[in-house]
Amino acid sequence: MSIQTLEIIRKRLEERPEELRQARKNGHKVVGWTGYNVPEEIVHALGFIPVRIALGGDDRLVEVGARYASSKTCVFIREIVGAFSENKDPYIQQTDILAFDATCLQNYRAAEVIEYFFKKDVVVLAVPRNFAEDDAKTYFVHEANEFTRLLEERAGRLLDNATLGESVALYNDIRKTLKSIYTFQAARDNVISWEEVYDLIQAGDLLDKKEYLSLLQQTLAELTELQHNPVIEADCDSRIFISGSLIPRGDRKLISIINLAGGRIVGDDLWSGILPHLDLDIKEISPAGVALGYLNRTPHAALPYLDLESDRRLKKLHELLSQSRAHGVIYHTLRYCDPFTFKAKETKNVLAKSGIPLLEIHTEYAGSDYEAMKTRVEAFIEMIRIKSELVEEEAA
Amino acid sequence: MGKQLFRYSEDNKAKFLESDNITFNDGSVVTPEEIWDYLTVEGPVKYPGTYEINLSQGNRDSRDETLPTSLKTHYLSLTFSARMEKAKKNGKTIAFIQGGQAVDPYTAADTIALRPFLVGQWYHGREHGNDIYKSVLRRKQSKETAFHDMSFEACQTGGYEHVQVGDLPIDVVAPYTVLRCSDVSYGVEAHRHGPNKDVKLINVDFPMRHQADKPWAIEYFARNLKKLVKTLDEARGKKTTEDDLWRAIRLHNEGRRLGTELADLWWSTDIPPTNSDDRNSLVALANLDMHGDVQASLSVLKEAKKIIAERVKNGVKGHAVTDNPKRLFILGSCVGINESRSEDAGAIVVGKDDQWSHCTSLVEEEGDPYYNLAKATLEYPYEQSIEKRAQWTIEQIRKSRADGVIFIHNWGCNTQAAVSRPIVDFIKRETGIPTYIHERDLHGLRDEQEQNRVNAFIEML
Repeated sequence: MSIQTLEIIRKRLEERPEELRQARKNGHKVVGWTGYNVPEEIVHALGFIPVRIALGGDDRLVEVGARYASSKTCVFIREIVGAFSENKDPYIQQTDILAFDATCLQNYRAAEVIEYFFKKDVVVLAVPRNFAEDDAKTYFVHEANEFTRLLEERAGRLLDNATLGESVALYNDIRKTLKSIYTFQAARDNVISWEEVYDLIQAGDLLDKKEYLSLLQQTLAELTELQHNPVIEADCDSRIFISGSLIPRGDRKLISIINLAGGRIVGDDLWSGILPHLDLDIKEISPAGVALGYLNRTPHAALPYLDLESDRRLKKLHELLSQSRAHGVIYHTLRYCDPFTFKAKETKNVLAKSGIPLLEIHTEYAGSDYEAMKTRVEAFIEMIRIKSELVEEEAA
Repeated sequence: MGKQLFRYSEDNKAKFLESDNITFNDGSVVTPEEIWDYLTVEGPVKYPGTYEINLSQGNRDSRDETLPTSLKTHYLSLTFSARMEKAKKNGKTIAFIQGGQAVDPYTAADTIALRPFLVGQWYHGREHGNDIYKSVLRRKQSKETAFHDMSFEACQTGGYEHVQVGDLPIDVVAPYTVLRCSDVSYGVEAHRHGPNKDVKLINVDFPMRHQADKPWAIEYFARNLKKLVKTLDEARGKKTTEDDLWRAIRLHNEGRRLGTELADLWWSTDIPPTNSDDRNSLVALANLDMHGDVQASLSVLKEAKKIIAERVKNGVKGHAVTDNPKRLFILGSCVGINESRSEDAGAIVVGKDDQWSHCTSLVEEEGDPYYNLAKATLEYPYEQSIEKRAQWTIEQIRKSRADGVIFIHNWGCNTQAAVSRPIVDFIKRETGIPTYIHERDLHGLRDEQEQNRVNAFIEML
């Protein structure tokens, strides 16, 4: 089955770098951002063109990045640093300003290193570790105002609430539509795959936001026509949920291995996937209101939370697993990605209590571990298939 | 071949007995005679490993027997575990903290603050009779358990292996987090799934990015410090007053001033008055947390300053220091090079940024104590931006007249490793001094390869 709008999106992505180049010629500025709590609406409302800096899968760039940011930094960050060093990525080439946050400390370090070596203009949003506490929120509001002030300086104009309100409305529509589309990928009839939706989500990191919303709405209309009422049920016996470190554009190694091994991916809680678009409730149209909306979402694993029982990240994982009717979790950890590697065993133990198996795949962007990963993923899928069959037999 | 064992020479006893007592937090005193007895009778039986002459382990403690304070820091190290057990038995609250942070609020709350190294020292000091090999093996085994429960890529495990897997009675895991090391905050979080449900957890949230210039960041950190003190108070069942905090600040400022004066004295002469180990162990006293007893550290520090002043005045050269050694300044993680072997190769370590940066930040003694403490903490030079940190480091390099700079980081210490290249790049550009980046294996499995690199650098200098 082919969704025609997806073809249009692929084409628009090919055209996008040139479009950005022209926009910059006409005086527009591009803000490259990365992080989990960067309030993109503020960037957008100030008239910048926001582009997410998220690329992976190229071990050569990882090596280049290691020259600047050490071989002990996570591969994703090393690749970003390497990409800035080479300056060949069409999106990185077009960035005028960078906006990073300090949710993940390695992301923060990347900002420092890029600023130092490549003389980029970097604005950093500090993020409190004690994110759930009122004091931390007060602090974060100040940081969000400061972040806005620094961007206003660069924009040469002040942020007005009416424009911010329009941006928030646009982004809310995007999130709402994405959420609707996401339901289809896990549905029985499989009119759109998780992989297609995942690419669709990441297209939004790069395309013009208004156009993106329109394309999403077209996609949703097509999907609704194909399947009026998507029903999510455990139709096959190898429904896989992906969790853990992000999987940015350019990195499809694990995803392709799962597909090859016969697994069907039906959900994720990746930083590069649907998760950032969920539960974002902006209660007030102001920089503080937007920033708090971000901070109050499901927290990123880089932010420590000291009570296991009330951890919202784990609660969300359970909720998404239940919604997607997944049989097992493949927990992806990138080399030196501390936020997720530190939690791998704990997450496995927590899910085991609910009878959900978890396989940790620890990898980097080199191809050398491809076969080893494949063997492990195949064994895992075989294991959950056998388990599903046994459950069915027992039920019968 | 039998092990070479070290013993203190009776020739130095009479002089040592003329030195000062050590006074402890509880008001008790230990005399030089008692220290000597411990170091020559009890110590070798309990901790034979520390009396082995084994350069691979960097074990050179107290080789300068004519430096009384060196023997005293050795004594404090050897008695550390027993002192902690005693303190715990007497109802003292004990907290796990981060290296490179001041401990004023913990002192105010009558709490012993132990950085990771000290938590390990306490745990491993409980077992007696081990040689170096057995001690190292024991440390590796317990660390491996923590790696298993967290991540094998962890450098710092937040004391998990002792507090959760072991049975060390730490009351509170309460470090300043994100300060220098992200692993510590993940380490604190990991305690939430450990079997020890009694230990309290708190992240004292040290925010990042130009924070010292932001009043709201200082206020935020000050509020975190108040929460810390409240948590410590809950653990010990008593309330800490502002007066308690002022007293602690004044006490620690005295330590910081003394430590700075001692370092300046040491740097003021061309003839190094001590070897690298002794310099390091004395300057490290400035934070007063080094031996789990602030008063004991202070009393040794006071005496050390007098002795170093005397040595500088008389042109005394430190034990085993070569003529005209190449002067090394060490940057980076909470680890160092093998100082004694580097001295054998013709160098001397004249300074480190870790365990020093926070000692140079005095806390103002008027106004709001929490705010002042927060401000001083956010001003730690080590925690500033690349350029600011490098600029401060250059000042230290110039003061210490270093010939070369080594940025050392532990395997897995991505927070420091990530900025190693730009920092040495900045220093090299501004000073022309040779630099190199050294990755250290936390488990000592690559000692020879690492020393080869250090020696090659010294030879090049």
